[in-house]
Amino acid sequence: MPSIIHARNIRFKYTQHWVLDGVSFRVRPGDYVGVIGPNGGGKTTLLKLILGLEKGEGIIKLFGQPVDQFTAWQKIGYLAQKSPVSQSRFPISVEEVVLMGLCYDSAHKEATPENLRAVHHALALTHAENLAKQIFSNLSIGQQQRVLLARALVSNPELLILDEPSTALDAGSREMFFALLGELNQKHGVTILLITHDTGEVGKYISKFMYIDRELVFFGDKEEFCHSQKVADKLGQFAQHTIDHLHNHGHCPLGCTCGHTHSTQEAHHD
Amino acid sequence: MISEFLSYGFVQYGLVAGSLVAVICALPGVFLVLKRLSLIGDGLSHVCLTGVALGLVTQTSPLYMSVPVVLAASFGILQIMDKIKIYGDAAIGIVSAAGLAVGILLTALAGGFNTDLYGFLFGSILTVTRAEIFGCAVLLGALLLFLLYGYRDLLAASFDEAFALTRGVAVKRLHTILILFTSLAIVLALKVVGIFLVSALIIIPPVTALLLARTFKQVLWLSCGLALVSVWVGVYLSFMFNIPSGATIILVSLLFLLIAYVWTKIGRSYAR
Repeated sequence: MPSIIHARNIRFKYTQHWVLDGVSFRVRPGDYVGVIGPNGGGKTTLLKLILGLEKGEGIIKLFGQPVDQFTAWQKIGYLAQKSPVSQSRFPISVEEVVLMGLCYDSAHKEATPENLRAVHHALALTHAENLAKQIFSNLSIGQQQRVLLARALVSNPELLILDEPSTALDAGSREMFFALLGELNQKHGVTILLITHDTGEVGKYISKFMYIDRELVFFGDKEEFCHSQKVADKLGQFAQHTIDHLHNHGHCPLGCTCGHTHSTQEAHHD
Repeated sequence: MISEFLSYGFVQYGLVAGSLVAVICALPGVFLVLKRLSLIGDGLSHVCLTGVALGLVTQTSPLYMSVPVVLAASFGILQIMDKIKIYGDAAIGIVSAAGLAVGILLTALAGGFNTDLYGFLFGSILTVTRAEIFGCAVLLGALLLFLLYGYRDLLAASFDEAFALTRGVAVKRLHTILILFTSLAIVLALKVVGIFLVSALIIIPPVTALLLARTFKQVLWLSCGLALVSVWVGVYLSFMFNIPSGATIILVSLLFLLIAYVWTKIGRSYAR
């Protein structure tokens, strides 16, 4: 099966130390990959390298093409962690923001009725259709995030890349957000690469986990992830509180079907 | 009174030059303000002192000498931001300080300040030449073509640079061209408002327009309109009261900013 993303021996350093060192993996069509790891572990850097926003060592291919030669950007939807204009006034309508997600054949081409239909369809998907005519910078952070997800979806991408998109959302919006991503993956076959700390909420939708801590600690199926001693040791270092919280509710913290329920003091799947 | 004012040839030249300069400063200013790079105008205008001083020392046109100096400085700022990975305001500060220091040194070597230098420091709109007006018109034409062709890409890059890159927008090339236009606009605006105040023409009309406009196209139109009216009113008042034109133009544009601020405040409280 061809790879949507093929990374081989990626290395990257900002100053003296390596932020990522020797990371290799393949994301296949239809995968829903949850990228987790400690702060400063290189998750966002990995996404930037995949999107060509940073240049590192090693090989990254998108849809079989090296990232620096890749041009079919309409196949990829990207949603960053922070809204670009959360603090400043930028007089641009929600409709125009979503329109930016479409790649134009020529730079000065005006939006066609077909473009506008795609914009409204994407806004409807993210339950933001009523915001279409509003000024983007006047919206709440949660509303802005829904609009930006619509922008990521408007080109009907085959791959969605999301960097902690739920940080600014309240509990209800977060649940709706992850359900929407799950539906896009399961019904429409959209491949998703999602950086998240919400392993509990998103765990039931994800098919694979990638654990990054400067190196690739784990990449594989969710069930295997739950049984990995190496991961259990690492998780103990960065998110024991998340595990504890979910264990208290009698669930496997990763939403998998391994059937484990644990006490708060018990090590995970060892 | 106005017809008498408009009957003078030097006033007509000054108004045409001022109008062209208003638009070539206000248009790139919108994108620079939104990219939080508006102080680039301030930094590059200080660098102009080096160009002007070089021109006065070598007995050549200060404006012609300023063009390569300011272009080199703008590339310097871009390189410092890109290669040394420091923030834009720090890069601008470094190049600005270097430009001022060299300019002051050259001025001292040339025997200190003289009338010509004062004209460039504080503006001398009524001494604008036909060649300078032609230069402004050519730059305006090129700028309008650039904006017409690159409008959507510029909008996307100003709104969200990272996302624009993932749509295949050549963000770096757009920024470089925008800063080149700004550099040339600054040089051509020297005679209208002077080294000390040229950056205000880049910053104040776009900021005022951002307060009032509801769409991005309105921001562009309003910026140009506000800059034009500031120049016209400023030149008229300076003629009427025999006061410096550059400073008057900037004070008029500041008055518009104040009115816009109060207007939006009243509008918001009324809406509540």
